[in-house]
Amino acid sequence: MSEIKAKDSAPTGDAGEEKDAAKAHFDNLKTNKPRPPKPQYAVTIAVSSRTLFNMVTERKIYEDQGLEEYVAYQRDHENEPLMPGPAFPFVKALMTVNARLRQLYPDSEELFDIVLMTNNHAQVGVRLINSINHYDLTIERFCMTGGESPTGYLEAYMTNLYLSKDSEKVSEAIEEGIAAATMFMAVKENELSDTQLRVAFDGDAVLFSDESEIIVKEGGLDTFFEHEKKFENTPLAQGPLKCFLEALGKLQRKFYAKNERLNCPIRTFLVTARSAASSGARVLKTLRSWGLEIDEALFLAGAPKGPLLQKIKPHIFFDDQMFHIEGARELGTISAHVPYGIGQKYNKGKLIESPAKKK
Amino acid sequence: MVSTVQNTDVKQKDADRALVVAVTTRAVFDAAAGDVYGMGVAFPLLQSLQKVNERLLEKNPAESLLFDVVLIATDSQQQSSRIISSTSHYGLEVGRFCFSSREDLVETLVVNNVQLFLSTDRDEALQVSQKGVLSALLGRQEAPSESLRVMLCGDAIVRPDCDPVPASRGAAQSFSARLGEMRGRFGVSGSPLSIVLVTSSGGSKSCGVALQTLRSRGLSVDEAYCLAGAPRGPILSLLRPHFLLGDGVIDLED
Repeated sequence: MSEIKAKDSAPTGDAGEEKDAAKAHFDNLKTNKPRPPKPQYAVTIAVSSRTLFNMVTERKIYEDQGLEEYVAYQRDHENEPLMPGPAFPFVKALMTVNARLRQLYPDSEELFDIVLMTNNHAQVGVRLINSINHYDLTIERFCMTGGESPTGYLEAYMTNLYLSKDSEKVSEAIEEGIAAATMFMAVKENELSDTQLRVAFDGDAVLFSDESEIIVKEGGLDTFFEHEKKFENTPLAQGPLKCFLEALGKLQRKFYAKNERLNCPIRTFLVTARSAASSGARVLKTLRSWGLEIDEALFLAGAPKGPLLQKIKPHIFFDDQMFHIEGARELGTISAHVPYGIGQKYNKGKLIESPAKKK
Repeated sequence: MVSTVQNTDVKQKDADRALVVAVTTRAVFDAAAGDVYGMGVAFPLLQSLQKVNERLLEKNPAESLLFDVVLIATDSQQQSSRIISSTSHYGLEVGRFCFSSREDLVETLVVNNVQLFLSTDRDEALQVSQKGVLSALLGRQEAPSESLRVMLCGDAIVRPDCDPVPASRGAAQSFSARLGEMRGRFGVSGSPLSIVLVTSSGGSKSCGVALQTLRSRGLSVDEAYCLAGAPRGPILSLLRPHFLLGDGVIDLED
């Protein structure tokens, strides 16, 4: 993997040099934070204001009293930092990985870049920026659209993953080919690692397409097992989060290249209801055909995911089925729903106890 | 030789209170097919300015803080009579016409108390701004947007020593204050006028400083985009402002 060196712009003569020097001096006064990475090299994570911070109270004011009251409230409280939201631990973990990457590759721009992507009004933005500063979060880029949906800007900021509380915006993003998920706070808080980013993924309709899920829903488990055995050597099609796993893998390999495999600050998990014996092989072979590694693959054969996730303690867990999201949340895992595929038709709005012991 | 003609079709604005915006006729009108000129690049802008005035007067029929549009012709190829008749044809709310020359342009602007000069000619706009009159290049709106979108570049607000055109800084600040007053007539949503702040360099902290500085000068920003070194092009093409202030005179296509 090549390293990309950051280039400074060439001086433009004496006056230009003086100006550049003054500018640099001013920059140093303001902050000793490193420059944010160039978007084309970075892994860009866009988070909404309500995933980054807990805005439940404020949201209620917006819903009950309207926009003007909500903005006025935020302005009146703009020097009070907001409490952390569901994406907060994930963002802190991304910053930890960046710190390790910068140690090993001081000039590289292959880092996480966290962008605040919100349809909040810019006047509310002052409180958001104050809160970001309060927690010393490295969020240097943002987009406050003052009402319009921000999903149009995701591509302009070269977003690799978008997290929001608004499932409509998330669906829009997925339709545009951008990995996205709707975040849910956990019911209680598990203690998470502060040295390693841990990300858990469901398999079908998250990393992979929903083609196999369709077979289960339409043909039942036995049909599914037969099909998977028959097509074991045919890779599954990609799902919406595949590219994000790929981006994580690229960063992981940077640590391996410096002999840091045992101490790698990124760890990925596959948590699937498939069973290893009957349908697991196809999944592993698909990952291999994509050149992707996953650190731990856990086949539950239909058992609930909650208890296992409680042990894994990921900073985020992606699944396409609300049933699994709820199960994870109840036992302390911060979860992110991927509204993709056939699973949406079956689980819409209801927490159904799945009759088939599959997914 | 400068001549000024008042537009008798339109009620004249209060000279002390109106926000005078001058636009070149070259930007408003395209080559004539017949007696009437075609619609030029500045057409959507004029329509948006008009809409703001309409909404202001709806709220308060006695409102005096309105946009006062002046058309400036320095192009001898455009006929004065055609300019006036085309303006009437399209029902444009233009207060007056100034028939001037390239050499007399700045003087014409000053004499007419122009607070903002808009052009499609980069050299012209730069020359004017260096003489202390606030100037900006027009964006190329593809479709008329619902509101007048004014974009401010925040970098010069946070770092005044890096202001590329210090001569017009005073004019920029007073224009912002008046614009802020106008924006304040409307609520958070549904405003016919949107103020968009973009900072190109500097992180979220400095954009926050720009937001608060503008607020202290009476200008409440609606949308804010902090690029922190990310390429501007993709964002600008989405934001589609009618014009961009505070960045010297840059081309919106850059």
